[in-house]
Amino acid sequence: MPNNNVIVSLRDVVAGYLTTGKGWRSLFKHVNVVLKNVNLRICDGERVTIIGESGSGKTTLLKVILGLLKPVRGEVKVLDKEIYKLPWGERVSVLRQVGYVPQDPYKALNPKLRVKTIISEPLEHMSIKPREIEERVYEVIKMVQLSNKVLDKYPNELSGGMMQRVLIARSIIHDPEILILDEPTSALDVSIQAQIIELINSIHKRLELAILAVTHDLGVAQYLSDRAIILYKGSIVEEGYIDEVITRPRHEYTNLLIASYQVFK
Amino acid sequence: MVLAVRARNLRVGYVDEDENILWAVKGVSFEVNQGEVFCLVGESGCGKSTIGNTIIGILPPYAVTDGELHVFGKPVVRGNHRDYSGIRGRIVSYVPQNPGTSLNPYQTIGTQLYYVLNSVYGWDKKKSLEVAKKYLSLVELDPEETVDRYPHELSGGMQQRAAIAIALSTGAKIVVADEPTSALDAHLRLQLIKLLMKLKESESLTLVMITHDLVAAGKICDSVAVVYAGEILEKCSGSNVIVEPLHPYTQMLADAVPLLGFKRRLKSIPGEPPRPDEEVTGCVFAPRCHLAFEKCVEPPPHFKVYKGEVACWRYAGNAKQ
Repeated sequence: MPNNNVIVSLRDVVAGYLTTGKGWRSLFKHVNVVLKNVNLRICDGERVTIIGESGSGKTTLLKVILGLLKPVRGEVKVLDKEIYKLPWGERVSVLRQVGYVPQDPYKALNPKLRVKTIISEPLEHMSIKPREIEERVYEVIKMVQLSNKVLDKYPNELSGGMMQRVLIARSIIHDPEILILDEPTSALDVSIQAQIIELINSIHKRLELAILAVTHDLGVAQYLSDRAIILYKGSIVEEGYIDEVITRPRHEYTNLLIASYQVFK
Repeated sequence: MVLAVRARNLRVGYVDEDENILWAVKGVSFEVNQGEVFCLVGESGCGKSTIGNTIIGILPPYAVTDGELHVFGKPVVRGNHRDYSGIRGRIVSYVPQNPGTSLNPYQTIGTQLYYVLNSVYGWDKKKSLEVAKKYLSLVELDPEETVDRYPHELSGGMQQRAAIAIALSTGAKIVVADEPTSALDAHLRLQLIKLLMKLKESESLTLVMITHDLVAAGKICDSVAVVYAGEILEKCSGSNVIVEPLHPYTQMLADAVPLLGFKRRLKSIPGEPPRPDEEVTGCVFAPRCHLAFEKCVEPPPHFKVYKGEVACWRYAGNAKQ
């Protein structure tokens, strides 16, 4: 296969949501375009962050990659397969190579399940022996630096930082090729944020997977990525190595982001 | 200089199902001058929001208080007796953390302002809306348009500004802002802080800010109190807290903030703060402190050092108590 090491590639992707207009226009549905001609390529073992304000289409972009939102136009390749052209069963088997950490750890965990069940859930549909699942659970819980006692607790007994660790454990238990994180630190304290950044980087080193993180915090992006992509109003306005983006911004929106950061800090 | 808020040995706790009292705030003393920006900094679960709620007077009925709290000289908390009449709403007011969930989705911004003004001053709709428009333009929203909007029609930054307008509309002199910027984007955050600073000057407000970002607090605040496990570990002026942090916890908080264009190793603080039901003897921070020594098993008193006040045994030698 050519380009064996490209994990995700998007070409001229246009995506949006179906809406109706007001009045007589409500008879017709039209697409409210959120992403406009996005081109993106993520290689094996790379750390990429997407930076943008709320409403810029960050989460929509993730939905397209995760196979949850079919784009209007364009080509979405995950692990060299065009996921939206595959039948459902095959699409699922491709997307099993993707790990996903959702945005708000306080809302993302099922309050009725114990942590052990939450973490092992992704493996339960993969016809793996129960004993192997159990071994794997202990392995990942060690990897995210939690004690085994946590496994028997319910999510409401955990702190925010611990919940985020549980979510990361769940997303790496099936040994994915790429880990996608939606705002991994925005709901956490500054001190816990540093712990989670460290954890994500140690997992990246250990499992050698690609990491795609979404954030609105340039300071966090600096520690989480090699490459940065700035998304503004649905299109990519700047792309490059993170240090270069910060020291020599080319787009005015990047300038604005950096300026607002510097007055603060 | 008029004292806006004065707390002396204030303790706030919550009663659980078994009638045990869990003290979330364990004896704090602080003073806030009028026209000052005062910051409470700390991790979540440290009791900083409880201190904020005590100042505004929105503690739940199962809360227990001890010590004293005065607002503009009037005792609002004395022992377990709380009396906020004439203070809550009129003098002290509140900007919530997440405006998206705290504004009523069924009512327009104008109606929400009317209900606030009607319940506090008993004004009719016409007069309320007049005042409402004045305050909406004060927070740089278009008054004519915003009055008839529902919260979901506004962006996050506009919602937060509408919430500030509601907080100010009663003519409050003290505004307690509970993490006002944490739900906003980086550049909106800057706008909001600038707006709050402008309002502080023009309306001579006293701001009590609750935040977990020490560096941002240091930039905008006149004085900072670092809260940990229900106790104040350090009190000092805003600029000093970044330049020369006294307590090891403050130092670690400052080191954990990522700075732009200046890459250093992020130091994370190991472990997590103690839960309110945990018994801690001695210094509350000692289990997580890398500088702890034998003396730390005893609770440290507050030492006056240079321009601040710190509760750490390392300053026992070179300071008077």
